[in-house]
Amino acid sequence: MKNVIVYVEQKKGATRKVTFEMLTEARKIADALGGRAVAVVLGAGAAQVAEQLKNYPVDAVQVVEDPAVDTFLLDPIVHYLEVAAKNVGPSLLLIPNTLSGRDLAGRLVARLNAGIAADVTEIAATNGRVECVSPKLGGALVTHCVLRAGDYGIATIRPGAFNAAPGGSGAAIERHDAQSAQYPLAIERDVEEGSGEMALEEAPVVIAGGRGMGGAEPFTTMLKPLADAFGGAVGASRAAADAGWVSYSLQIGQTGKTVSPPLYIAVGISGAIQHKVGMRASGTIVAINKDASAPIAEVADLTVVGDAFAIVPELTKLVTAAKQ
Amino acid sequence: MKIVVTVKLVPDPNGEKKIDPATKRWVRTGVETVINPYDEYALEAALQLKERIGGDSTVTVFCMSPESLKESLRKALAMGADGAVMLSDSSLEGSDVWASAHAMSLALKRIGFDILIVGGLTDDGSTGAVPGALAEFLGVPCLTNVRKIDVADGKVRVERETDSGYQEVTGALPMLVTTALTIGEPRYPSLKGIMGAKKKPIEMLSVADIGAADAVGSTGSKTELLSFAPPPARGAGQIVTPEDPAAGAAAILAFLKDKKLV
Repeated sequence: MKNVIVYVEQKKGATRKVTFEMLTEARKIADALGGRAVAVVLGAGAAQVAEQLKNYPVDAVQVVEDPAVDTFLLDPIVHYLEVAAKNVGPSLLLIPNTLSGRDLAGRLVARLNAGIAADVTEIAATNGRVECVSPKLGGALVTHCVLRAGDYGIATIRPGAFNAAPGGSGAAIERHDAQSAQYPLAIERDVEEGSGEMALEEAPVVIAGGRGMGGAEPFTTMLKPLADAFGGAVGASRAAADAGWVSYSLQIGQTGKTVSPPLYIAVGISGAIQHKVGMRASGTIVAINKDASAPIAEVADLTVVGDAFAIVPELTKLVTAAKQ
Repeated sequence: MKIVVTVKLVPDPNGEKKIDPATKRWVRTGVETVINPYDEYALEAALQLKERIGGDSTVTVFCMSPESLKESLRKALAMGADGAVMLSDSSLEGSDVWASAHAMSLALKRIGFDILIVGGLTDDGSTGAVPGALAEFLGVPCLTNVRKIDVADGKVRVERETDSGYQEVTGALPMLVTTALTIGEPRYPSLKGIMGAKKKPIEMLSVADIGAADAVGSTGSKTELLSFAPPPARGAGQIVTPEDPAAGAAAILAFLKDKKLV
């Protein structure tokens, strides 16, 4: 491994914050390894995203605007990353630890005969050796692992774990032609169920509701106003998603999303291990719960015992006033 | 149609999880071994598919695990799988994603399948990367996070969950599919199923049988685990019981102001 390749996840010309975090980290690793840092952006809207990356410290941004990326499932992306890896030469690939990023990383493990470190929150590269730190089981355990010397290695990067800092003298944008190929899995329909809200993983504040909400309504009438007051997003426990009160795309936990915002407020969530796994890495955790002995108190920095339906509206007023 | 389901045997997720500091592996003694809960959803999907398709369809369970855990696999047979194949070899211990997926692919090529169904996650802290690597080594398409599967005339149509909604995707067999939990709650074994499971075959394979040679275990891996330990403890939090809701809200605001979060 000598160079670093960053896979830039994007949809219709928009990318996520983790992209900039990876580009910033890629420069440091590439310098330590004595190689180049290259970003790869694929699909419709890729050129638009590439423009947004120019102020970050990578040497080059490779762009392939192949429509197949959006009409076939993952295989075109696997293909173009394999091509990029072969072109750039021995390298560490940084891939966001998102739902599709995890799928992609697994595929590339076999394509590139690479070692993988998953959900990485720290990377140290010294003397050509890459060491990664990953929390496991929601941070209950931490692993340190080395990607053995070889041509390729892969790290999936936890969103929010690294800082993003613009810099550099403007990356060269390299446009590559789309290659015609047969791909096996056709996307017939792509349905967005989110309502254009801020992505949960990127929200600076997450207000999450659980079984204690008792229904769908408090999510929109009570938690959403508090999230808006903070400029954050609403999430939910598995109990709330299973009950059908919110879409599964809002579910935080082992079977849902992993978030680590600077502030996490758990409202009426008891704190089953399956939920804690998805949020315990948050900066500050506040719980509002009627039961002082709920397990959520074990990870919360502050637990307020009381009626959430009375406390949350009061808190919304106070936060709104404090922000003015 | 030959349906194969991979399952992993893990320490009971409800039991205490311990790491042996010397081997950096899970302590399995004193903890009950169970089928990875997510793999039970994959098995449920397989059993439902078999019931829908009928004919001479079969469900075979594949497991890479120490032979000593063999009896923990009976539950899958009791739920309705027709048979099981176990890849067991002490040289497999310590295999990383690449080495595990590689060894599994060699065994699965030998077993053969039309559709291979894999659980979406494992409960013992792995990476989620194995299914993708496995599909590549097997040379079959990989459809992940599936909540609904329809198979007809060798064509597969699924609904899969994405992080912003869902997609409908089509492809052709053979294929690897990973399941989302919304595919359906796993069934409980019936008494008849439990009795019948005792007579169902569990075929054993070794590393020599699959020809994996040295590409297994720690030496065959592309990564090296340096340490596996609990992180520094998070400081104990405060618990307050306010006099009224307004005081509760005020306590939260004061706390957040102190942390400069408001």
